[in-house]
Amino acid sequence: MTPDSNANATDPTDDRTDAETLRRVADRTPTRLDVGRAGPRPPTDALLEFREDHGLARDAVFSRVDDSLVDDLDLVTLRTRVADADQYLARPDLGRELAEESITRLHEECSETPGVQIVVSDGLSSTAVETSVPELLPVLKDGLAERDIDVGTPVFVEFGRVDVMDVIGEELAADCCVILIGERPGLRTAESLSAYFVYGPERGGPTAEKSVVSNIHDSGLPPVEAGAELVDLLANVLEQEASGIDLREDDREFETES
Amino acid sequence: MTDFQGPLTSIGIDVGTTTSHAIVSRLQIETPPGDAASPAIVDREIVHRGEVRETPLVDSQTIDVDRVAAFVDRELTAAGVSPAEIDTGAVIVTGETARRENAEPLVHRLAADTGQFVAATAGAALEAVLAGRGSGAAARAAETGGTVANVDVGGGTTNIAIFDGSQTCDDGMGFDDVTVAETRCLDVGGRLVTVDDDGHVESVSPPARTIADALDLPVAVGSALDADVRDRLMSAMVDAIVDSCSGPPFDALTRSLSIGTLPDDQPALSGVVFSGGVGRLVRTPPKDPFEYGDLGGGLAAAIADHETVRSWSVFEPAEDIRATVVGAGTETTTLSGRTISLDESVLPLRNVPVAAVSGPVSDTEETFKQRFDAATAAILSHHDPGEVDAIALSIDDVGDLTYDRIRVIADALESALAPIPPTLPVVVVTRQNCAKVLGQTLRRTTDRSLLVLDELAVDGGDYLDVGEPTAGGESVPAVVKTLAFGE
Ligand code: B12
Repeated sequence: MTPDSNANATDPTDDRTDAETLRRVADRTPTRLDVGRAGPRPPTDALLEFREDHGLARDAVFSRVDDSLVDDLDLVTLRTRVADADQYLARPDLGRELAEESITRLHEECSETPGVQIVVSDGLSSTAVETSVPELLPVLKDGLAERDIDVGTPVFVEFGRVDVMDVIGEELAADCCVILIGERPGLRTAESLSAYFVYGPERGGPTAEKSVVSNIHDSGLPPVEAGAELVDLLANVLEQEASGIDLREDDREFETES
Repeated sequence: MTDFQGPLTSIGIDVGTTTSHAIVSRLQIETPPGDAASPAIVDREIVHRGEVRETPLVDSQTIDVDRVAAFVDRELTAAGVSPAEIDTGAVIVTGETARRENAEPLVHRLAADTGQFVAATAGAALEAVLAGRGSGAAARAAETGGTVANVDVGGGTTNIAIFDGSQTCDDGMGFDDVTVAETRCLDVGGRLVTVDDDGHVESVSPPARTIADALDLPVAVGSALDADVRDRLMSAMVDAIVDSCSGPPFDALTRSLSIGTLPDDQPALSGVVFSGGVGRLVRTPPKDPFEYGDLGGGLAAAIADHETVRSWSVFEPAEDIRATVVGAGTETTTLSGRTISLDESVLPLRNVPVAAVSGPVSDTEETFKQRFDAATAAILSHHDPGEVDAIALSIDDVGDLTYDRIRVIADALESALAPIPPTLPVVVVTRQNCAKVLGQTLRRTTDRSLLVLDELAVDGGDYLDVGEPTAGGESVPAVVKTLAFGE
């Protein structure tokens, strides 16, 4: 063969029967590509793998954050109006409200008017809280302390939704509130944590005025790095006295067709 | 906070043995959605493709710096951009030109003249890699997952870069860094012997002399070049190129023509791309082998005809004669990770020498500290702190990303930096995503001017240029390079 004649002849991606190339494509993504089939069903290996992942996801949602971890992190435990895990899934609204005794406890045990009120909550993944918060929280607290930002008394909320931070922040008259909460388990991992934050928290505040840093886990944004990143972001929120879309001037110009 | 990410305007300048060229390109930056992703250059568009010009020389040892600068000026005018608009890019002297006495001042002058953040680079290995990125060999390896060699045959040297695509992954926005398995460079090129219009030998460069002596061929300045002698000379050159691509073992002649150390393992090549002034002619050798007054045309024909080459899968280059300049213009700049810790007042930094902190991460804290101390000692023994913009320490592996670990590293760094003058900026580079936390932790104990960058692969002995923040201020452009003149 001359160099000329086979110039384009051997591109493996052209060959759909090339098992090796297909394997490499499938290996490059966490999606369930090219798992094969046995008759009308997935093959045993693929089915077991799927069941395992699904099991991990369910565990993340249905397990509880260990009490000793909450103690170690020195968090004040609060509860929402949710009674159990099933109700948590069925009634997101109850996960946004604090139980009556928890509101009392909040005022008894937490200092008022912090610069940044820190809230930790199981949300949809207790696993995420257990793996990431122990690394993230100390970085966040040290970093904020170094900037002379008062973090008040960090709390833990069982069966929480993102907007429970509005209630806590409003009750304590915090300038800003951040919630470290387990994300809905997804394709890549059941250990992913998010940090949602809001300036001037108040009940019923719109999501649009909140910000989020998501995908915090070992193979996403590493928890320690997320902690440091949040220090910068929260300092900026306090400085600008804004969060969510209020921080993003570039997005505010909506074009209307005339 | 803004997400506006305009394209970067980048220049590439290649001053080679025979020809020189400049290109202007636009590098599009994007940050994929999701907080874990870092900005990346996702598209490279060449907006001005300069003419291929003969490299102006004052004499055989000296490049005509003023004329090179003048042609770069003309190219910029033709492209319609002023130096002030150029964000990044690289100047490289290649082939035999890198050995000319004024090569080093030349690239530094061009780099400084053409833009705020244009890097001066040199070195056969870097040249090989840039040519392979410019020719599309690297992309071919990434797309196919194969091992692809780029063989850039120029006037004075042949630079081979072997790209291994088996480990690359597609992050959804194009292919991630394909690994450079190795480079192999040798003193073989089309212009080792030049011939005048009457077919008389005009010049014979030292490597051509080496070949002629080894084969006992009569090649003398002023006398006619016999067709048989010429063919044997060329076939020895092609043998050396092929041998260099396929060995070890290597022939004695290949070894004496090689630049740098030769590798210990044979590559399993799935494809080969030829680029460079001679490489370009491999597909279409000229009818008259002396069309260019040198061995280039004949050499190209001999390569195409070589038995081993005919057994290879040869792919067409995306760029041929401009492969290196396109590589220099579009592929030298990388972006650091998004979360970085910066003292912006010191930017840009140029030609920052790098020492690597490497070794097993499982080491005890004590040995770990010693490795940091050794890295600073190494850098201070090679570079006078008064002569450099900054120094850089590159940490190969931080280990598990825990807060405890970060504190151990910050401690080790702090004591290792003690002997460095407090006014000299220090750049700390990590491969893992941890610059912000490391930067914050370090800042608690030191107030020296610090720059912590992550998600960059830099090795000891490299040099680093760091530009001003881009991608909404969350990332900096960086050029990792060698400055090995006269290898
Ligand atoms: C479920 C989900 C939604 C649902 C939420 C419905 C609900 N009631 O649960 C819907 C479809 C409405 C949604 C909408 C949007 N989402 Co969404 N969403 C998610 C997802 C998949 C899981 C979130 C989760 O687990 N939350 C934890 C549980 C416990 O929270 P919760 O209290 O039950 O639900 C609240 C949060 O989910 C929150 N929320 C959901 N998305 C977003 C986005 C932003 C910017 C904010 C501030 C809050 C927010 O709103 C819910 C109601 O209060 C994440 C993916 C991820 N990796 O986290 C993306 C994710 C958070 N969403 C994202 C985005 C961009 C959006 C939209 C802006 C999309 C759009 N262009 O319109 C909107 C914004 C919503 C708003 N009102 O402003 C991005 C955020 C990227 C970033 N760093 O800014 C993520 C990370 C997905 C991604 N990788 O791109 N989302």
